[in-house]
Amino acid sequence: MRDDIGQGKIILPAKISRNAVINIRALLSHPMLTGMSRDQAGIPIPAWFVKEVEVTYGGDRVASFEWTSGISRDPFVGFSLRASKEAPLTVTWKDNKGGIFTHSADVKFTTTTAEATR
Amino acid sequence: MRDSLTRRTFLKSSALALAALAASAGTAAASPLLRGPDNEPDEDVKTVLRERFGTRPIREGHVTLDVPDVAPDSREVPLLIESDLPMTADDYVKGFHIIVDHNPDIYLAGFNFTSAIGAATLDTRIKMRRSSHIRIIAETSKGELWSTSRFVYTSLNGCV
Repeated sequence: MRDDIGQGKIILPAKISRNAVINIRALLSHPMLTGMSRDQAGIPIPAWFVKEVEVTYGGDRVASFEWTSGISRDPFVGFSLRASKEAPLTVTWKDNKGGIFTHSADVKFTTTTAEATR
Repeated sequence: MRDSLTRRTFLKSSALALAALAASAGTAAASPLLRGPDNEPDEDVKTVLRERFGTRPIREGHVTLDVPDVAPDSREVPLLIESDLPMTADDYVKGFHIIVDHNPDIYLAGFNFTSAIGAATLDTRIKMRRSSHIRIIAETSKGELWSTSRFVYTSLNGCV
């Protein structure tokens, strides 16, 4: 059994200016088993996959995902976010066996370009 | 002797045919072969669509799917979904739905958004059991449904 299950990360762009639409990438280590495969002894391997994902930004839910085991192993998702405030972005993955995994990253403004050019 | 020659000729010609196939796969996205079979969803897919969306019309447009025509590894097929629909506080893309006709779970995933995300884009990797249409449906906050579909050929079996 892999020992990295539940590890993950949220990747934000290196530079973020206020109100820019930024790209967020969220990765989790998880086997995402369909339940249709068998081990070497021919015993079926039970399904084990992330069913729900919730994304919050400064405590507000901004997105949520509904998954099946059709999402690839070590699920990756990239999506957009309007960086309207300096606040933590938190992603919570919940699997069908009750596993809950949470990772977050802080959205911080590195430039004031958007304000300066206004 | 004669037999082996015939066999050799056959192998040679089939190798040439395969090479031609590979070449066309690399160049022409619009080639009839790659367009795949009829785009019409089968009964199972229609049932899933009905359960999810009722009788609301699903129109084509306003959503794009970027995916390889031939997936080298069907356990990890990369999808990039984008929409040009508005993303304002009172009119936004509420979600993307991924439908794969020939997968065990036809409704593969749903991605729900709020207007706070600023742009409707999505990037993920999916499994495919075999060559299939992939359908993307964008649902707006006003309840409109916009779609696109692509036929993707797979090589290795994807359901692990």
